Amino acid sequence: MTNPAAKPPAWRKALAPRAAGVVYAFIALLAVLTITSSVQGRPSYLSSVNLSNILEQSALIGILAIFMTVVLISGNFDLSVASTAALAGTVALKLIDGNGTFLAVLAAIACGALVGLVNALLVQKVGVNAFIVTLGTLTAVRGVVQAILDGKSITAHNTALLSFSTGRWELPVAVALVLGGALIALAVVLAVRSGPARTSAASSGADSSGAVREKLTATWPLWLGGLLILVIAGFRPNLLEQAVPVWIMLGLALVASLVLRFTVIGRNLYAVGGNAEAARLSGINVDRYKMGAFVLNGVLAAVVGVLYAGRFNSVDPTVLTGGELTVIAAAVLGGTSLFGGSGVVVKSVIGTLILFTLSNGFNVLNIGSNYQNVVQGTVLVAAASLYTATSQRDRALFRKRVARKTADPAPVLTKSSA
Amino acid sequence: MSSDPGGTPPILDVRDVHKVYRTGTHALRGVSMRVRPGTVHGLIGANGAGKSTLIKILSGAQTVSDGEIAWRGEPAHWSSPSQALADGLAAVYQHMPLVPSLSVLDNVFLGHTGSVRWDRTRRTRELAELCDRVGYPLDGDDLVGDLSIGARQMVAILQALARGPALVLLDEPTAALSPSEREILFASVRRLRDTGTTFIYVSHFLDEVLDLTDHLTVLRDGLVVLDAPTASTDEAALITAIVGERLAAFEADAPSPARDLGEVVLAVDDLASGAAFGPLSFSVRAGEVVGIAGLLGSGRTELLQAIYGADRAVTGSVTVNGRDRPRGPQVAVRRGMALVPEDRARQGFLADWEIWRNISLPDLPRLSWRRMFPHTGRERAQARQAVEDLGIKTQTIDSKVGDLSGGNAQKVVFAKWLYGNASIFLLDEPTAGVDVGAKSDILHLIRRLAQRGAAVLIVTSEFEELIGSCDRILVLRRGALVADLVSAETDVHEVTAIASGFARHGDQISSRKAATS
Repeated sequence: MTNPAAKPPAWRKALAPRAAGVVYAFIALLAVLTITSSVQGRPSYLSSVNLSNILEQSALIGILAIFMTVVLISGNFDLSVASTAALAGTVALKLIDGNGTFLAVLAAIACGALVGLVNALLVQKVGVNAFIVTLGTLTAVRGVVQAILDGKSITAHNTALLSFSTGRWELPVAVALVLGGALIALAVVLAVRSGPARTSAASSGADSSGAVREKLTATWPLWLGGLLILVIAGFRPNLLEQAVPVWIMLGLALVASLVLRFTVIGRNLYAVGGNAEAARLSGINVDRYKMGAFVLNGVLAAVVGVLYAGRFNSVDPTVLTGGELTVIAAAVLGGTSLFGGSGVVVKSVIGTLILFTLSNGFNVLNIGSNYQNVVQGTVLVAAASLYTATSQRDRALFRKRVARKTADPAPVLTKSSA
Repeated sequence: MSSDPGGTPPILDVRDVHKVYRTGTHALRGVSMRVRPGTVHGLIGANGAGKSTLIKILSGAQTVSDGEIAWRGEPAHWSSPSQALADGLAAVYQHMPLVPSLSVLDNVFLGHTGSVRWDRTRRTRELAELCDRVGYPLDGDDLVGDLSIGARQMVAILQALARGPALVLLDEPTAALSPSEREILFASVRRLRDTGTTFIYVSHFLDEVLDLTDHLTVLRDGLVVLDAPTASTDEAALITAIVGERLAAFEADAPSPARDLGEVVLAVDDLASGAAFGPLSFSVRAGEVVGIAGLLGSGRTELLQAIYGADRAVTGSVTVNGRDRPRGPQVAVRRGMALVPEDRARQGFLADWEIWRNISLPDLPRLSWRRMFPHTGRERAQARQAVEDLGIKTQTIDSKVGDLSGGNAQKVVFAKWLYGNASIFLLDEPTAGVDVGAKSDILHLIRRLAQRGAAVLIVTSEFEELIGSCDRILVLRRGALVADLVSAETDVHEVTAIASGFARHGDQISSRKAATS
């Protein structure tokens, strides 16, 4: 019944511009910057120091982008993250000297959860449009920050947050080597074990090596990730030491990806965002998923706020202003749909990396920051256009339009009626 | 394949048209059809027969791969609907592209570029003339969003007629109409035909086609299998042409009236929801198929949604397997209820998801390791099983449900509930927009479910199907149950009469309060 020859292989789908465009864009951008800086005789753009810089600059927005993607997948929208982070940072620094680190962080995260819950209730239970609700909380929460700070910046004496946020963790080379090897081994084991079983159902031939290859391409995140770790451990061990927020971003991205891809929760979240009514009538508690995404986003915004406040151990009323737009831009660059039901958190993280690589590149090459926003805006719109033009349904429309203009290049037919 | 060579020259002549899509689907394999001026030409065929493709080609939305279309004797090279419209061919689609926030007048003359100045007096006069020709009065100032579906359909037709077309293509115009609105539409079409307008009429309803058309073309698998004057054919011949022998099997397999039914598993008592329906009471036993016959606006969809727990603002009680009314669909699903909704694209499936992910959706925890980690292999095995059990026509279970035909998509929606613990099936218009072959498959499936001991409640306006598949038929009119009939002892005529208010079965009313409505 199923004919494996008729469908394109999975790897080709995974490598198509629509699926992996953001990765290509990132590689191309790195290449351009590397070549330009070497032509200009500057130090290597791909130096460990510079790459670590980009990662460190991206980390906080990257964390926000991960959970913004979760909210977008659920079919909602959240503009309030930057204000929420500012509130959490402010609360943490306000309380840390008098009440200790633990209580301060707890209160900050509670604030984030509260804002998320308010968003969730207004959107899901009252039924106000998410854009309007979160535009309101964006403004109101920023107002609370300004009221708390009364126009002044504050600095905490307790340096616990400072030392955590600016600390660096190193993954020992040996551990990295073992980890990378284990990932590759896992991919191979999975491919060999379930390869033949697959084919006996699909094709009747002796093409089991082809099936193993197919399976190997299907498990590409495993072995590619393993390979990447091995390469880094072997050639750039310096990159194994990163700032704490970078590790947090990588860890959260990994966990969020696994949950979205491999659990019932993830599947249901995509269903809820893709067609809420169909999901509801299938017995999924739509409100719980959509509200959960908001609350989670609020909590993680608070975590980001605490990390941000810890960076300089001080906050002022304007921290992270406008950050929500960068976050949404990163998610869109990563191919997340604003209509819900689709999105990949890792790609949103890469979208963040692109945005920060752009600004980092401007600084390194000393081009001047005047054109930075122009380029970032252009990149965003170009990416969105590319996604729309290459998406399957819209591509058909696009072709039709082209076909109309060029007097129908219809395929020639041999006349045969069965 | 007669096409009387001595008649008037055809206004539209389709000659050996082929259509091959980029995906390789050979949708039309040499279709020829001659439409004579001043006639109503019926175009019918099962879903997937190539009907939609031919409609799109005729209206200019798609181009032919091979073959030719002649319009008034000249070869036509339309590459957009606006070109076809300019030449005098207007299409009215099933889903009417009207602007609900504009008035009838604005909608009817939408896109007219005859004059820069918007001459309201002239337009109003033109609208009055149009209404006169059609025989359906409309107030130009009414907002389209406030109109009934039937009136909207007439606005769409007026919009087409306002361009003064020589040929109007009507695609399933009666799908959402009540019998009285249908009659008005038919009268209008006949009237316009008599004044020289030609129609191509596409419909699933064979009685309509026989009633209204002068000539018929039946497509099957991209080929013309019947092309004859309507007077020389009948319903049996049409059905044979459309599906072959499959429907005959369906007729032979009528439910046996004397079966042992189980316990009452679904009891509805004094259930009411605002103005929509009620209060009404009835019950369904395990292994029983109960049909609710109701026309559009009778409260049938609202009733099912209330039983399923999707409408929380209801009063009265629903008892499911001895337990109280489910508060929300997720509880209903846990208690073994399944809903196949009316509007499957909006409520039934995720168009962008593959068949296998759609089928496993309501039942995902059962197919998962520790109820949390979906086991893709099991999901896919279940989907392959469903494709085989239900005869879903698809190349692979990786096809997106949005790309399937209506009948196959509906089978996917059914399949979602077949392998879990569902024992009470609520079916809302289960065969709407489904071709005859899939319809017969679905009716078979409903009977199999009942034989398995499931309780089935069907709500539909397709009364013939109810009689063929149900044990009992309840008639719902204006939110009240007005009759409780044993389907073996009734016929379509009686059900239709009761549902549309011509007759009353006072002695058979099941709801205590229904009679006083």
